[in-house]
Amino acid sequence: MTTTDPPVTRTPRLARTAGRAVESPMRRRERRAAFLFLLPDSLGLLVFVALPMVLAIVLGFFSLDGFGHLSFIGVDNYLRMVGDPQFWLSLRITAIYVVVVVPVMFVVSLALALLVKQRFPGVGFVRSALFVPYVISLVVVGLVWQFLLIDKVGVISRALEAVGLGGISVLGSPNTALAAVVVITIWFQMGYYMIIFLAGLQDIPSEFYDAARVDGAGPWQQFRTITIPLLAPTSFFVLLTSSIAVATGGLDLVYALTKGGPASSTTLIVYFIYEQAFLFGEYGYAAAVGSTLLVLLLLWSGLMFAVTRGGRFSNVDD
Amino acid sequence: MASQTAFSRRGLLAGLAAVGAGAALGVVGCARSGAAGPMQFMNFYTPQDQGADPQLIVQAEWFDKAIASWNANHPEQVEPIFVPDYVNPMNPRIATSFAAENGPDIFLLSPGEFLRYFNGGVMLDLKPFMTPDAVADFLPEAIGTRVVGDGIFALPMEVEPLSIYYDIAAFEESGLAEGDLPRTWEQMLDVAERLTTARRSGLVLETSPGYYQNFTFYPWVWQGGGDVIDLRTQRATLTSPSMLAALELFAESITRGVASRTPPASGEIVSGFKQGLAAMWQRGPWSIQEFALQAPEHRYGIIPLPTPPGGQPTTVGGGWAWAVNNRGRNPEAAARFVVESVGSMSRECIDRCADWNGRAKSNMPARASVSAAMEQLPSFTDPARSAVRAQLPSTRGEPRYPPVLYKALSNTIQSVQLAGGDPLAQAQSAQSTIESFLRTYEGAALL
Repeated sequence: MTTTDPPVTRTPRLARTAGRAVESPMRRRERRAAFLFLLPDSLGLLVFVALPMVLAIVLGFFSLDGFGHLSFIGVDNYLRMVGDPQFWLSLRITAIYVVVVVPVMFVVSLALALLVKQRFPGVGFVRSALFVPYVISLVVVGLVWQFLLIDKVGVISRALEAVGLGGISVLGSPNTALAAVVVITIWFQMGYYMIIFLAGLQDIPSEFYDAARVDGAGPWQQFRTITIPLLAPTSFFVLLTSSIAVATGGLDLVYALTKGGPASSTTLIVYFIYEQAFLFGEYGYAAAVGSTLLVLLLLWSGLMFAVTRGGRFSNVDD
Repeated sequence: MASQTAFSRRGLLAGLAAVGAGAALGVVGCARSGAAGPMQFMNFYTPQDQGADPQLIVQAEWFDKAIASWNANHPEQVEPIFVPDYVNPMNPRIATSFAAENGPDIFLLSPGEFLRYFNGGVMLDLKPFMTPDAVADFLPEAIGTRVVGDGIFALPMEVEPLSIYYDIAAFEESGLAEGDLPRTWEQMLDVAERLTTARRSGLVLETSPGYYQNFTFYPWVWQGGGDVIDLRTQRATLTSPSMLAALELFAESITRGVASRTPPASGEIVSGFKQGLAAMWQRGPWSIQEFALQAPEHRYGIIPLPTPPGGQPTTVGGGWAWAVNNRGRNPEAAARFVVESVGSMSRECIDRCADWNGRAKSNMPARASVSAAMEQLPSFTDPARSAVRAQLPSTRGEPRYPPVLYKALSNTIQSVQLAGGDPLAQAQSAQSTIESFLRTYEGAALL
């Protein structure tokens, strides 16, 4: 088999150069306007996200007590972290939290998106009702659920009693407190991912389903052979962003709901970091743990990109 | 024609974008805008919205009056800064302000947090600004944990001894009388069992992890002669029989089902009693004022904390103190403000402190002269306040421990109380953590 190489040519570069040379004043103004529009957000990201991130990584190599005492200690914070059972406990709790929340939320959000994609009376209200929890402050969410789950007299406690599960202290028992945090997290985040999925579903041309129906495909076959493959980029986005959001979130919920208890059972890694910084004044150690979390999430994201081929979920040559 | 327009749409939007970028830069550049101006007094009382709880209004007005009195007579002005959720030691507001070298000039401080700030080197010694008779006027149980060496680094405004508050209606409904009020731990659990119903918790001991739970736990340890840190040797003593007994008491209250795993009525004792959700509650004297303002007709009583076999009646006295940031705008003036407000022997100061504890709040005084002045107030004969006052001789000041120590003890209490942890194993684990920490600890003595 022989191949023919494309002829080498400089035409594109020349064309680009020529294009730049003849850029109209209007295009230049548009370019400048675009730059200026992007500038505030870029500055915000740089100053409030990128710079603190770099500073936190650097701070992880220092001891800083919050009263101006700063000293370089190399990797001592990281060595301390490796030997800190509370760090490993919070990491384990976070791993459980992520492993349970992300897949369940994925399935629930997708199911809800499929439901609200249908046309039925009041679908707009249902969509809004499902999305509303996402826009409520997490502290308020925590307090409302705390009220519902109060021992003995809370609505949920009474419902549990009615089905023979009386005496359970959902937030007061280490066996159930994390489960409660998981359920509440899914409840308030599912609306957001439902909307993402809904947008993905609406992008799938209806002709595909029409053709499948003509060919005799049932709903399950349509879902398996059309919806899932064409929803792959959306699914990748949801999996990636939800796993990062869940792994780095939950602080305000736990803060309002359980204070990390009972018996540290809901001490997520972000709560652990917060505690180290603002309760113990161990800013350097908190930064080291935060940097470790950042690295873990980068590895996780890289792994997801690699496994799913950047969200395509299939070989590009196929 | 378009080129002759003064402001084209694109130009206007681009200009707005530039202004936005400039504003963003401006925000970054104004981190220490408050370096000049009046001295800032961070607290959790004032300024208060006029629509707030009447109790908060009364207390805010007391602070406002004290600040106004100073401001009227001194060129160095004081400005109160209200910090929501101040009493939560995880509140980042004060910590971050100090970290940004923009800490408050004056701030309220609990014993639990004393060492964090003292060891951080930001607290000013107030003793040079006080007269000897004023120094001697402070009660040892109030001032003791604020003293380091020869210095006094915060002036307490109150003492808050913990007691058991009980709901009389709950006792009557359960067929219990005054003679059934518990005096021992065993009696306390037995009585709580009789008071417990499907709706009501017989006993409320703190279950949320935090400084406050540790604070409520100390007296149960002390009653049997134990301690967290041996005052003489400065070594951890978490495996003492008294410590283990106190841990078992907390655990048994849960396993017997007489104490709730989460606080009834979101931790509000007045609502808890009024709604029949709790019968006995370990609590401080601040609740007397809560009852007076929210449910003046509600019948409740106060008894000392029951004791273990052979134990001594002992309770813990918390309370907030005024402290000065030695890196503030004008530490010397801030110290004079604090001393004039709550630490001088002037008639005005003594009356002000008596007014705080006897009217605005329902706490016990931190000073002998204030105690005497309070005898003239109408509230002095109030039975609830009298019951708390009777416990002052057996009150020990809330300890000052570093955060690492607090956390180790907190983990132990939580594990044993709520997760079925073995008291000895958990205490040994905490002991090991604390001993390891103390080997390199270089701060003030642990009291």
